[in-house]
Amino acid sequence: MSKNNDSVLVCENIGMQFGGLAAVRNFDISIPNRALYGLIGPNGAGKTTVFNIISGVLSPTAGRVKLFGEDITGLTPDEIAKRGVARTFQNIRLFRDLTVLDNVLVGHHLRRKATLGEALLALPRYRKEESGMMHTSRELLEAVGLKDVAHYRASALPYGQQRRLEIARALATKPKVLLLDEPAAGMNPAETEQLMQLILDIRDRFNLSILLIEHEMKVVMNICEHITVLDHGEIIAEGTPSEIQSNERVIKAYLGGGTIARH
Amino acid sequence: MAGNQSNNFMRKAVLAVAGLVLFYLCLYWINTQWDAYKVRILNLCAIYIGITLGLNLCNGFAGQFSLGIAGFMAVGAYTTALLTMSPQIKRAVYFIEPLISPLNSIQWGFLPSLIVAGLVSGLVGFAVGAPAIRFRDDYLGISTLGFAEIIRVVFTNTTHITNGALGLKGIPPHTNLYWSWTFALLCVFVMVRLTNSSYGRALKAIRDDEVAAEAMGVNLFYHKCLAFVVSATMAGIGGGLLGNLITTIDPNMFRFPLTFTVLMMAVLGGLGSITGSVISATVITIAMEALRVLEEPRVVLGIFLPGIPGMRMVVFSIALMLVILFYPKGFMGDRELGLDSFRNLAARFRRTFSHKQV
Repeated sequence: MSKNNDSVLVCENIGMQFGGLAAVRNFDISIPNRALYGLIGPNGAGKTTVFNIISGVLSPTAGRVKLFGEDITGLTPDEIAKRGVARTFQNIRLFRDLTVLDNVLVGHHLRRKATLGEALLALPRYRKEESGMMHTSRELLEAVGLKDVAHYRASALPYGQQRRLEIARALATKPKVLLLDEPAAGMNPAETEQLMQLILDIRDRFNLSILLIEHEMKVVMNICEHITVLDHGEIIAEGTPSEIQSNERVIKAYLGGGTIARH
Repeated sequence: MAGNQSNNFMRKAVLAVAGLVLFYLCLYWINTQWDAYKVRILNLCAIYIGITLGLNLCNGFAGQFSLGIAGFMAVGAYTTALLTMSPQIKRAVYFIEPLISPLNSIQWGFLPSLIVAGLVSGLVGFAVGAPAIRFRDDYLGISTLGFAEIIRVVFTNTTHITNGALGLKGIPPHTNLYWSWTFALLCVFVMVRLTNSSYGRALKAIRDDEVAAEAMGVNLFYHKCLAFVVSATMAGIGGGLLGNLITTIDPNMFRFPLTFTVLMMAVLGGLGSITGSVISATVITIAMEALRVLEEPRVVLGIFLPGIPGMRMVVFSIALMLVILFYPKGFMGDRELGLDSFRNLAARFRRTFSHKQV
């Protein structure tokens, strides 16, 4: 039932019930190509649950998820990743004992063509593929500014760089839709500034749609074109950043009755 | 650039061939000069290297804590034994219940028997692994341990195939240094290629974070099964070589202590290190024999000490505790010892040296 045919990712009426708790109800979103959408809401509003449903970690109890019109509801995460949805995690989930470069290389694995036998015998097609992977991985690391630490262990990176490595790893899967779960969490203002620029660059350079969960309002309001606000699992507002900023229900949900000033 | 690369490749190939020739010449020399006892220990070293590497692939690189290795070894050992024994010996050994046909009338060469042993144990590995990998950590360990015990119990009771608890005797002693060390070399080769390939990175990714690996498009079922099957195949062929080395096998050989021995080798060497496994499998196999002295009665400083059976295991337990205390990740951790590390060491030496001169 998507209204516009150019939508890349469509969620129709998604519901997620954990026992008696409705984590998400009647969630709809339709993300056009090359769009930068934001998903915000107070803690426990169901934002990450939505991500988990789209990326296949959870199977929704109601509704459909469609990617380019194809129903991907209930597929396993690796199948969804192959179809072009990549994500990062709220609590960073890197491959800790692998090098930074290897982390990104793992992201390439799903696009492999060389078989196991070719890999074991190092046949030409495998070698070519491997050097191609190596090349793109280095490019990706350069794009997120981690070229100099390529041979560090992922767990040895400072927090901000780990976040950026997660983004590079997700980009390695050549996604059409990128889901970023609180990419600015724990970053200082300067890092946040860089991150905003990075997200915009990524969208333009890799030609993809981005859905972003974020608590840092500066990020959301400055770079998102369209924002969906969740509270208690339901959409309470949708629109452009300026519409959201002046929306009564949003202010109430975020700040509690009536208060405007936070500090 | 391209010429340079092919030159480099040629140099590597020449080095590899030269190394292999030298290696087999050494084996030839050992085979003719050393006494049978030492040769046998060297055979055991090679067999344990291969099996430890297999276990390390599953437990170390892919992080799937499996305890079924003895079961896979049993499958391989029995398969090879049944295929290589001559019909006459089979008739003599199966005196309670005759062996079923066509097994009772065939006798194959060693190579096809080992290949079939590898295939059969790989298949059993898949059958055990496919359902078991839904578990994680200790639960996976317990379920695979259970499967290994099931295999042993089945072997004890299918008398018309395995001769039950009596075991098999008179297995032709085909295993020699060439067979066992070729097996060890092949295992090293497979491990080096596999763990450094895209597939190997996917396995390590699963070990580090299963959820993230799956989200990056790594098919968990395929890759975990891959680790399980390759590991079981190596254990199966190793078991086959072991059976044809010691010429008698029975189901009780393949109890948990065998799994524990191999696990100890992998852990002491470092889960996730190929060179670690090779070194520790060699050292422990030799130490197992060398420490037999401790179990013999002897006179120390005029005091007669009776032999205590099991003293070796006490020593190993203490060694294991000490290693875990000082090297929590095993001797090598997940590092490797290769030409590169020697090169780095040399470079560091040069640097310190030149600094001193300045």
